Amino acid sequence: MWDRAGPWAGLVARLGLAGVWLYAGGTKVGDLAASGRAVNAYQIMPFGVAQVIGAMLPLVEIVVGLLLLAGLATRTAAAFSALLLAVFIVGIASAWARGLQIDCGCFGSGGQLASGESPTYGWEIARDIGFLILAGYLLLRPDSRFSADRRFTAGPAQR
Amino acid sequence: MVREQLAREQRRKATLWTSVIAAAALLVAGVVGYGIFAAQRSGDVFTPTAATADGSGFAVGTGPVTVDVYEDFMCPACGEFESTAGATIAQLVTDKKVTVVYHPIAILDRFSQGTNYSTRASGAAACAADGGKFAEYHKVLFANRPEENTPGLDDTKLISLGTELGLGDPFTQCVQDGKYKTWSAQITDKSSERGVTGTPTVYVAGTALKDRSPAGLTTAVESAVK
Repeated sequence: MWDRAGPWAGLVARLGLAGVWLYAGGTKVGDLAASGRAVNAYQIMPFGVAQVIGAMLPLVEIVVGLLLLAGLATRTAAAFSALLLAVFIVGIASAWARGLQIDCGCFGSGGQLASGESPTYGWEIARDIGFLILAGYLLLRPDSRFSADRRFTAGPAQR
Repeated sequence: MVREQLAREQRRKATLWTSVIAAAALLVAGVVGYGIFAAQRSGDVFTPTAATADGSGFAVGTGPVTVDVYEDFMCPACGEFESTAGATIAQLVTDKKVTVVYHPIAILDRFSQGTNYSTRASGAAACAADGGKFAEYHKVLFANRPEENTPGLDDTKLISLGTELGLGDPFTQCVQDGKYKTWSAQITDKSSERGVTGTPTVYVAGTALKDRSPAGLTTAVESAVK
């Protein structure tokens, strides 16, 4: 039963996570400086470092999204996703613990809260944990329907 | 049996290679992203001559207490701040209690449908400062503040607002050339470095102001004098 349903579940997880990354990267890629400011808003690293990370992040997110969309190197993409999400969760939790008044900057806000808005750290963390579960599933069971991996490896990918 | 082993070996290799390619693609994406950013940041930065010593804003008034105001010309909360606290600030300036330093940063470019209104307005304000009319132009821009998710005022309108204040050809040229575009980006970076994560952000004598009401501002200024 699961042998047949698993790859379909994999497809859903893969496309879901792909959508998240493509959206996250897409909303940020138009303003790389704002992306750097969003990273800097966490006040975790020096401004110059935050700028570099912020400039790199949107395109990296888009490429992870494309890999997942195609189902190419699914396990590697899932592992990288999990790593990134874990970093984001730690970052948001740390901002929360320090009482910073910021937006997570997850989807291209430059780290600023809209006027009159309060931080929503709990929701942001819950959301990222949801994404982390998708990534974790794919990490354990990378095989999915309609994936490039299946084509290149001529059959279901190994576990 | 052997055939199955071979097939498995082949799959293992294919998986390995796609992983290597994926990792390389991620690395390249990061480098390209940084390259684009670095290219965007190249270009000469002209600092307006009227700017404060560190080049990041324009001072109004001569009072002993410095009030730093970080605003974006499209930001609704800044418009609100200007209409509620603007008169108080003007009074504090007239009474020679404060020097207000306005930092016209550009953080809301993504809300002007691709016209980068925040950057254009910030640059135009610097052009007005060149013509000695920063305070007046600042006021006019907030009186004409466009809503978010609109294209904002076009350059023609930005110019005519200045012309009405008596700004001449150099101002027009300056706005048309987008002379202070890189400067706007630079002061926006500086604000982030200082810890500004939204607009308006107000510092009274270097301390972030929590209560931005007229009363809150007056209280903060008075306690800074003591």
